[in-house]
Amino acid sequence: MAVTVTKKKAVRKPEKKRTLTWAVLKSQQQLIWMSVPLTLYIILFAYVPVWGWTMAFQNYKPARSFSQQDWVGFKQFKFLFTDDDFIRVLRNTIGMSFINLVLGFVTAIVLALLLNEIRKVVWKRTVQTISYLPHFLSWVIVTGIVATSLASDGIINDILMKLHLIKEPILWLSEGKYFWGIVGASHVWKEVGWNTIIYLAAMASIDPALYEAAEMDGASRYRKMLHVTLPGIKSTIVILLIMSIGHILDAGFEVQYLLGNGLVVDWAETIDIFVLKYGIAQGNYSLATAGGIFKTVVSVALLLVANWTAKRLGEERLL
Amino acid sequence: MSMENHQLSPQQAAGVTISKSMRSSRIEPVLFNTFNAIFMIILVIVTLYPFLNTIVVSLNAGNDTIRGGIYLWPRQWTLQNYKAVFASGTIYDAFWISVARTVLSTVLNIFLTTMLSYTLSRKEYVFRKPITVIFVLTMYFSAGLIPGYFLIKDLHLLNSFWVYIFPSMISAFNMIVIRTYIGTIPDSLVESAKIDGAGDFKIFLRIIFPLCTPVLATIALFVAVGAWNSWFDAFLYTSSRQELSTLQYELMKLLSSSMNSNSNPNVAAGAGMTQESAVSMVTPLSIRAAVTIVASVPILVVYPFLQKYFVVGLNVGSVKE
Amino acid sequence: MGGRFKPLFRLGILMAMTFSVILSGCGGGKDNSADNAGSATGQTATDNGGSSSDGKVEPFNVSVFIGEAGQQPTPDNKIYKKIKEETGATFNFEFLAGDINQKLGVMIAGSDYPDLMTGNTKLTAAGAYIPLEDLIEKYAPNLKKHYEAYWNMMKDPNDGHIYILPNYGVFNGKLNSSWYAGPAFWVQKDVLAEAGYPKVRTLDEYFDLIAKYKAKHPTIDGSPTIGFEILNYDWRNWGLFNPPQHLIGHPNDGGVVVNNGAAEIFADKDYAKQYYQKLNQMNEQGLIDKETFVQNYDQYLAKLSSGTVLGMFDQHWNFQNAENSLITQKKFNRTYVGLPIVYDESTKDYYRDRAPLNLNNGFGISVNAKDPVKIIKLLDTLITEDWQKTFTWGIEGEDYIVNDQGRFMRTQEQRDKQSDGTWKLANKADALFGNLPKIEGSFSDGNSTDAAAQPEEYKAGLNDYDKKFLEAYGFNSYVDFFSEPPENPIYYPAWSIDLVEGSEAKVANTKLNDLSTKYLPKAILANPSDFDSVWNEYTSQIHKVDVKAYEDKINEQIKWRIDNWSK
Repeated sequence: MAVTVTKKKAVRKPEKKRTLTWAVLKSQQQLIWMSVPLTLYIILFAYVPVWGWTMAFQNYKPARSFSQQDWVGFKQFKFLFTDDDFIRVLRNTIGMSFINLVLGFVTAIVLALLLNEIRKVVWKRTVQTISYLPHFLSWVIVTGIVATSLASDGIINDILMKLHLIKEPILWLSEGKYFWGIVGASHVWKEVGWNTIIYLAAMASIDPALYEAAEMDGASRYRKMLHVTLPGIKSTIVILLIMSIGHILDAGFEVQYLLGNGLVVDWAETIDIFVLKYGIAQGNYSLATAGGIFKTVVSVALLLVANWTAKRLGEERLL
Repeated sequence: MSMENHQLSPQQAAGVTISKSMRSSRIEPVLFNTFNAIFMIILVIVTLYPFLNTIVVSLNAGNDTIRGGIYLWPRQWTLQNYKAVFASGTIYDAFWISVARTVLSTVLNIFLTTMLSYTLSRKEYVFRKPITVIFVLTMYFSAGLIPGYFLIKDLHLLNSFWVYIFPSMISAFNMIVIRTYIGTIPDSLVESAKIDGAGDFKIFLRIIFPLCTPVLATIALFVAVGAWNSWFDAFLYTSSRQELSTLQYELMKLLSSSMNSNSNPNVAAGAGMTQESAVSMVTPLSIRAAVTIVASVPILVVYPFLQKYFVVGLNVGSVKE
Repeated sequence: MGGRFKPLFRLGILMAMTFSVILSGCGGGKDNSADNAGSATGQTATDNGGSSSDGKVEPFNVSVFIGEAGQQPTPDNKIYKKIKEETGATFNFEFLAGDINQKLGVMIAGSDYPDLMTGNTKLTAAGAYIPLEDLIEKYAPNLKKHYEAYWNMMKDPNDGHIYILPNYGVFNGKLNSSWYAGPAFWVQKDVLAEAGYPKVRTLDEYFDLIAKYKAKHPTIDGSPTIGFEILNYDWRNWGLFNPPQHLIGHPNDGGVVVNNGAAEIFADKDYAKQYYQKLNQMNEQGLIDKETFVQNYDQYLAKLSSGTVLGMFDQHWNFQNAENSLITQKKFNRTYVGLPIVYDESTKDYYRDRAPLNLNNGFGISVNAKDPVKIIKLLDTLITEDWQKTFTWGIEGEDYIVNDQGRFMRTQEQRDKQSDGTWKLANKADALFGNLPKIEGSFSDGNSTDAAAQPEEYKAGLNDYDKKFLEAYGFNSYVDFFSEPPENPIYYPAWSIDLVEGSEAKVANTKLNDLSTKYLPKAILANPSDFDSVWNEYTSQIHKVDVKAYEDKINEQIKWRIDNWSK
């Protein structure tokens, strides 16, 4: 533990305040050439089209030119926020996102740590390759298998009955209380292998000398995992966590749409589904844009809070 | 899949108790390895199943699959589903377009994103903060469909191959991941190179770039898989030029048309018969399985190829060199 | 360190190769189109309505947007080849896979339209089509004759112009119909056979039959028998929503029932409650599948094709694949008969209707089309009987035979090919024909326009079980279970009324659907003593929705149709 902390501290030197002078610009001209054109590029492709956000304040009709559009102020936002369902879909979105976030992080990190402990290279690579296969299946296929497995004669009920944990089959998809868990578990199943890749890459940067030192101290395998490997990928974990917190309103729509039904609709509908249904599907691009703006505002706010918290805790941060 | 979670916690728990009670005992590694192996076997079974099942469904007769109950072995073997996928000649050209865009995107992304990440990892760089903010924010908003379309149109990228490449040359997410990785490389390396008179571009190209191999392998995989799987740009920007269509979009058209012929009353009415002959049809379910296999197998081979770069100590080893 | 650059170098080479592939790819594409044009110019015509007067066909290309998924025909497709030889026209198809709303949004915003586009109210509203009346008057005598009786119905309700040429619903001669695609209460044939082929009229009789059969056969082929299925998955929601209107003897008008030209929703009415209460009781008796509301479409089809489901309300085409599977398994007695069930004997059933004009579907010519005259002339040529036969039956001798009586027939081999997707890409022009104006019913020589509806063809393909079954009832086909449809009301059908994007009416409609999806399953599965309270909650939620906006919009359009469509 001590070893890694000092190493980290050594890397992060206090930032020197630099004033913008010609001399500084000149000395950094290579850095400028390497980054400013790319910045202009991203401004063109990502920021310039943001003029389209004006749509949120219009009754946008694609056939009309900009000057012909009707301006309606905050009407779209009002529709969004005053709908009876809004609080419910917001709750579902955050609930499912949170479960996905926690489950996703924990399972991916644990799996990465365990994979890292496998000594046989062939076996390790085989497990890695197989575990990332479900990532390449579409949600239609995955939810199809999930629904079949959860059916009254599906494998889940079979196993539970054989273990005498339940007396008669449970209709998993008919109960709102199971729905978030099912969605979370489906995400883990589909993405856990894929999500470990980034941690495995991060582990490649750990100095073997640290393991050797730990071994000399007589550290057990478990301790090495906890005190060398985990700190070694901590910066990656923190950064990914900060980025994910900003995405808390992106619970998606596909899984919920494909697994949902009338009986669980109160627990299944997310903001994305709501916006699709009343926005794009109705030809109301304005509402879709308003929904997007709302999500962006929340995202950026959460991102700043997370980043600030990381800073206070002395962790790696994003900005 | 909930099974997996149940397996996970006892495993962890086992790990904890063992290491506490039997620290430095000889049994420990054996126990740990046994548990780890069992866990991995379960993981392999659970994650292999959906893919295997998809392969099996793709090899089973469509009219039989509809009855359900196809798990690990086909009931009625057939290659008909694959014949249907390859029937239209368009997917061969589309395959090469997909390969071209994937390779090109990957190469450009890797080079440009790493270059940018390097500059943003330099603490002394005056524009470090504003540029970082500009890139990071792009992850959290989207201008929307229509303004994006106008931009592509104004840049004359409609119905052009380059629309697959230009709009996605850099991803902020990848940039951050690489930057974080560069942060773990000892600063002394850069400093000493500077003292030797090397410029930033040279340092990036000669020192940082080679040291980043493990993370670049990861990013290459992300970009390649993303480029290979994307179909939305083909749908939005090049759909009126058949020769620019990508494999994913062709397969999607195939899949939707097979679903369509089953959901259009007019078409279905014409095909509907009580005759015994109306039985050799493929169904959306089986086409979907075959399409999935055809679409994913070419990209699946990339990962095993990149795996050799995920080796502990790779970069530190080369630093010492 | 030099070794590390090797992969990079290799990538560089690969990149260079990629560039050359792309460049040659693009160049190749251009060459091809030039080739096509060149070869077509050299051809002389067997003139069948080619547009130029000196007997030569001028080659021209039409770009076509098809608003649904489809597959590119093979380059040597025999029907398109024939069209090219005889009219000079080649087609450049653009098919849609993905969300049509997104695609149309950008097409409209950028005014990027090809020459010919399938009908869509969003495109009409955006002014993407040109009016066709004058063009038809001047250049298209065949189309004029074809649509004569339907002329007023084709007019756009907003400005009175004709923009779209409907692809279905124009009938000619005797309409042979042997296959019913529409909605009904379906029941397994064995249920009727075992009960001695009774005539079933009412809902109570229907469920009694199912209950008796289930009691006698608790399992079928080893699996538990399922009495009744209700599918409500995604947009396939009619199995749950639609029965009440049919039970009181009304045709399918979507979400409303129309009486004397006045439409009102029926979801909250007593006759709807009666149906769902019946289902509630049936559920109590264990007749309804426990899983019915959580299943997806694939699971539903799986149950049907296992042969254990005795009945359901559905549209025939929706479960056709399951029936095909049963036929493959030779379980003919497990296939289904559609029954026009009503509440009481005195009500006349109105399930089967006369196919209405398929408004807002078919082709329209876009404002960007370079030569609309050429296109309308082409469409005019393709509506002639010879071409229509080529599209439906194929090429004589190859795809069908003409017997001594002049009747069209297919050999078994030819019949099999019709269901082979690969063969069709090379030998049928379905992508085009599906959207073209077409003759339905009979040709002037008496042959059916639709091969499957040719009576001889139908009989030839019928298996022994069905022959016996139909004999028992004294029917020619399963369509005879339904009453002969009366003349359609002028406005019919209300479901084809365009609610207009983003309007209050459309939002209300979406909300009503959401409420039904949420509350009806609850009501059906409720304890019978709780049924009323769930139902009351449901109707009170309905009354919070702006139902009036929805009904007003429909009534306004019904009135417009009555005013303008009356002959």
